[in-house]
Formats: sequence, structure tokens, C-alpha cells
Amino acid sequence: MLKVRGLKGGYGGRLIVDGVDLDVAAGEIVTVIGQNGAGKSTILKSIFNMAPVREGVVTLDDQDIFPVSSYQMLTVGLAYIPQHHSVFPKLTITENLRMGGYLLSDAKLLQERVAKVEDMFPILKERRKEYAASLSGGEQRMLEIARTLIMDPKVVMLDEPSIGLAPKMVDLVFSTARLLAEAGKGILMVEQNVRRALLASDRGYVLELGQVRITDEAQALIADERVSRLYMGVRS
Amino acid sequence: MATAIFEQLINGTMMGSIYVLMALGMVLIYGVMHVLNFAHGVLFMTGGYLTHLFFFNLTGSYPLAIVLSILTLALIGVVLEGVIFRPLRDNLRMQIVASVGLILIIQNGVIQLWGPRALQMRTSSVSSLVKVGQLSFTMQHFVIIAVVVSAVTALYLFLTFTRLGTAMRATSQHPEAAIVVGINPNRIYALTFMIACALAGLGGALLGPLFLIFPQMGDAPMLKALSAIVIGGMGSIPGAIVGGFGIGVVESLSTLVIPSDYRDTIVFAILILMLLLRPWGLFGVRVRGEH
Repeated sequence: MLKVRGLKGGYGGRLIVDGVDLDVAAGEIVTVIGQNGAGKSTILKSIFNMAPVREGVVTLDDQDIFPVSSYQMLTVGLAYIPQHHSVFPKLTITENLRMGGYLLSDAKLLQERVAKVEDMFPILKERRKEYAASLSGGEQRMLEIARTLIMDPKVVMLDEPSIGLAPKMVDLVFSTARLLAEAGKGILMVEQNVRRALLASDRGYVLELGQVRITDEAQALIADERVSRLYMGVRS
Repeated sequence: MATAIFEQLINGTMMGSIYVLMALGMVLIYGVMHVLNFAHGVLFMTGGYLTHLFFFNLTGSYPLAIVLSILTLALIGVVLEGVIFRPLRDNLRMQIVASVGLILIIQNGVIQLWGPRALQMRTSSVSSLVKVGQLSFTMQHFVIIAVVVSAVTALYLFLTFTRLGTAMRATSQHPEAAIVVGINPNRIYALTFMIACALAGLGGALLGPLFLIFPQMGDAPMLKALSAIVIGGMGSIPGAIVGGFGIGVVESLSTLVIPSDYRDTIVFAILILMLLLRPWGLFGVRVRGEH
């Protein structure tokens, strides 16, 4: 579904992402792992047209989406959840969801979609009138995911979804990702929590200095001695 | 004494409403794009001149002249944002310099077009008096207060209940997240400037008939509005409203006890005290470290 070829990206000067190929199929969770500074976040930003310098090929369902502006990516079916909290803190939960459907002009459809995600995340329904800032870190992540789903994207990209969350919440985030994949969406994650992320994924890419070094089934990567030594702190 | 206090309360509320219009525009721009627009005073002045122009040369109707000058100012706002502030988006300091430069350009441009002398615009609302007990005020006093209260209410409803107003708040709280959900930031910035400039123009259009229309007429209101938003708390809309009305009332009441030449001193003394004692303002949030 999502197809990336020869992607380069950076912020002027040295390229942070230097020629990456990756694919995400429908119903699949794909994780990019790598050390700090390997360019994991920049891959997502470059795909989403948020990096100042970028080149390459990005297609979604064979449609060229490389030149699409970031704020129009949702209209072609690509969603992105940035690394740090990205809820609108002083908007209520309802208003946050409403903003998730900013691009929907059909009020009825918007209401249906909001009701649907509220059923999926009951906590949001309970506290709909409260400011998003009053939610815990994990609940804010849920709100970010819920907000993204209003536009019913084909592919969801998550930047370090587990960062700063309690272990229970991490499980919830990953199981939500699986739920979305089962609903036919493609999920592209970037993670530092390597073991947990790979356990929750179908396939993985190992990124080093802006290039893909290893790519394999997630199970195989967990078993891979190089991966466990470098990224999971296992000594051989 | 009681009548004198009442008289100054009305005067103060009237001037305060003008400050509120200015302060709201500046707070909107500050809140959404983090720039203090120092050119807001000359936009206010432009509103006065345009109303004069439309009133005498085009419509002959004061309300219609106000509407036209607001629309013109809204257009000017969109142009200023697109031509001057957008190219400087990533450079906050240069945006401030640009806003100061705009003061020079617009003020001298107006002097070129209309000359340096003050213009008069006596509308019927200024000549007709309203008697309250032994006191009499011009109708314009109450027109100003009523129009400003409606404008502020309309702005509140827009920001709270509409899709675009919510998007404006969203963008001011988290620009990156706004892009991620599909909000085009350039549209929001243009809209913000449009509304802010329209409010400044409305201020000039309302105050022009009561006092004179001259190239520096916006300077004092801009400084008072700036004080109002600092006292109210930078970026806080309720703060701008309370600060604006508060300054208007306090400076009017102060003329009862000290010579009226000193009333600006009172305002700025309050500003300095506020900066010393509670620099984050009445409604602001205390932030450490940043900025």
C-alpha cells in the first residue's frame, strides 16, 4: 500500500535519511528500529512532507503522494502522529476529535465517525467535556490515535508511540495498533522500545546512519543476534 | 462627587472599549503567531482616515462608512500577512522589526495623502446628547460601548463554536498538530491578521468622530492596549478584555484626584508594578525558563 523508494531527507546540510526503501501493506504493522540519531523520526517526517530537504518516491495505493502538502496528507489517506504530545491541550476532548475531522465538510459523517471512535475509546466519551491536558500521557496517546481515525486513513504512522508511557499503557497502544491493522490499515511505527515493538509487529527495518541495514520478519529480527546485541542490550 | 465618579466611569468604559478592540487584535496575533504587532496603532489610525474618506466622499452614511473601512482593513490585514509577515515566518525578530517599519511607512503615507493636519468628522451621533440625570454624554459614547460589546461577543462565539474558530485556537496551541490534522496554517495566519486588523479599523472608525483624526491618533491606544495585554497576561483573551476595560476606567477615574495630564503616568505605573509583582499577568500562566 505505502511504498517508499530512495527516500532522502534532512534539515539542510547532512542528509539524515539517506536512501531508504520501505513498504507497508494493508493489515500489517511495520516497525523501524535504530539508535538515537539513526534518522527514524526523520523518515516519517520526510514521508509526510515535513522535512525541509527531501527527495525520493512515495506512493500510496500507486498514487504519487510525494508532493502533497502535509496538511493535505489526510485527504490522500496518510496519517501521522508525531512523537511528543500532539493533542490540543486547551481544547476539550470533543473539540480535539472535531479537529481530527477538520477536513470533513459533511457534518453528519463527522458525527458518525466521532461516535464510532468514542465507542472504541470509552474513556474519551466519559470525559469528552474536559480539556485534553487533563488526560494522562497514555490517554492523550489514545486521543491522538482516535483523532487520526476520524479521517479513516489507509496508513497510520506513529512516531515512538510508547515513549514516556506506563508499561500497561504501552500494551494498550500496541494492541490498539493491532486492532487498526486487523481493520485493514497499514501501520508504520518508529520505536526505541525495540523488543516490545517487534513483538507487536509483523515486519521490521533496522536503520543505521540513515540507511536500512537489515529487514526481516519481526520474529526473525528478535532472534537475530546482531539486533539483540545492538538494540536490546543482550550480551553474547 | 458621586456624579463625577459616574461620569468618569462612563468615559472610562468608553475608552476602555477602544483599548479592548486594540488589545484583542494584538492578543490574537500574538497567540497564533507569537508576534507583537506594533503596527496595530497605525492600522487603527488608518481605520479613522478610511471612515472619514468613505463618509464624506462615498456613502454619506456613518455606519456604512464603518463597514467599508472594516472590510478594507481586513483586506489590508490579509495583504500584510501574505506579503510581509509570511516570508519572515521563521524569524520572529525580523517580524517585530517589520511591524515597527510599517508604522513609519503607514504614518508617513497618510501624511502624504491627507496632510499632517487633523481632520474632523462630526457625525450625528456626536452632536446628539444623551442625558443621564444631570450629566450628558454624546450618543457616540454609548454607540462605542454597544458596538464593542457586540464585537467581543461575536468574536467569542466565533472562536468557541465554529470550525474555523476552533482551528484558530488549535493552531495557536500546537501548530505542528494542527498541520497533522489537516489545518492549513497559512489560512489560519491570514484569517488571524484579517480579524485583528478589522478590529483595529473598527476602533479608529468609532473613536474618530469623537476626537480628531490625525496621523498619531493610534499611538496612545496602541500603548494602552499593549499595557492591557501585559497586565491581563500575554496571550490571554479574557486578560485583554479585563485589562482593556480596567485601564480605561482607572485612567478616567484618576483624573478626579490628579491633573488629567498625568493619567498616562497612572497607567504605566500600574504596568510597571504589574511587571514587578506579577509579570505573568492577571490571567497568564507562569512559565519558567522559556523566552
